[in-house]
Amino acid sequence: MTTPSTQTRSLRLIGGVDQMSVLRTFVREAAAEFGAGPAATDDLVQAVDEAACNIVIHGYGNREGEIEATAAVANGQIEIRLLDRGREFDPTAVPAPDLSVPPMARRPGGMGVHLMRLGTDAVHHRRRRGGGNELTLVRALDDTARED
Amino acid sequence: MAMTIEAEDVAGARPVAVLTLAGELDASNYERLIEAAQAAYGRGARGLVLDMTGLTFMASSGLVALYSAVRIMRGDAPPDPESGWGALHELANEESTARNVRLAGVQPAVERVLERTGLRRLFEIDASSTEATAALQGA
Repeated sequence: MTTPSTQTRSLRLIGGVDQMSVLRTFVREAAAEFGAGPAATDDLVQAVDEAACNIVIHGYGNREGEIEATAAVANGQIEIRLLDRGREFDPTAVPAPDLSVPPMARRPGGMGVHLMRLGTDAVHHRRRRGGGNELTLVRALDDTARED
Repeated sequence: MAMTIEAEDVAGARPVAVLTLAGELDASNYERLIEAAQAAYGRGARGLVLDMTGLTFMASSGLVALYSAVRIMRGDAPPDPESGWGALHELANEESTARNVRLAGVQPAVERVLERTGLRRLFEIDASSTEATAALQGA
């Protein structure tokens, strides 16, 4: 549904990690259409890739599965929603990496989630009725809105 | 976008292999980079340059490939691809910069991943593969 203040794009993927490049292209095109800056675009592409990889690996056990992606923009923010029917996996519940230990010693699985968090302003997860996950990643369009 | 890997061997007192990466390094292809590093070591390379000038994206899985490359060039077995990420724990005490693998032409989006994961300081980064090769060969 499109309203005057909101634009949306959507993509339906069936596959495994071999489909991540298709998803990244989708995010780049949506970000360009919505007017995101280059850093915001890179951040969002990275965050969505890491999130979708987690869906494939944790949610679908590294087997093929379906992911529906929707991109929307409103109030200066781009929002990417990922829907799947895999096993429940809440990346927002993954602990932040322990920065007091050497980088290579940190939980590596946590690195993808770490990149996802750093590349976004908010991440929301909820279980879907009938099984699966709904993950929403939000990022300001403006490059100056955040820094590491 | 797929990733291409071109290998070039540079003879010298310390044989070096230059792997030129182009495209996007992600969960679907990071094992190909590990295989290319293994093949280079098998041809006698004891130093590795990863020319990332044409690499526009690196997922966190690419970090596993970088770690594997460091291990391979040391003569250690690469981590089991199945254990992938878990293998990174083995470098728990790794504080020094990798001496046998240098990165060249790293683009901002890739460097940001290295910075954000704290791995930037583990690698020397050169402007070009020529400089990286010379540094590995002690020129």
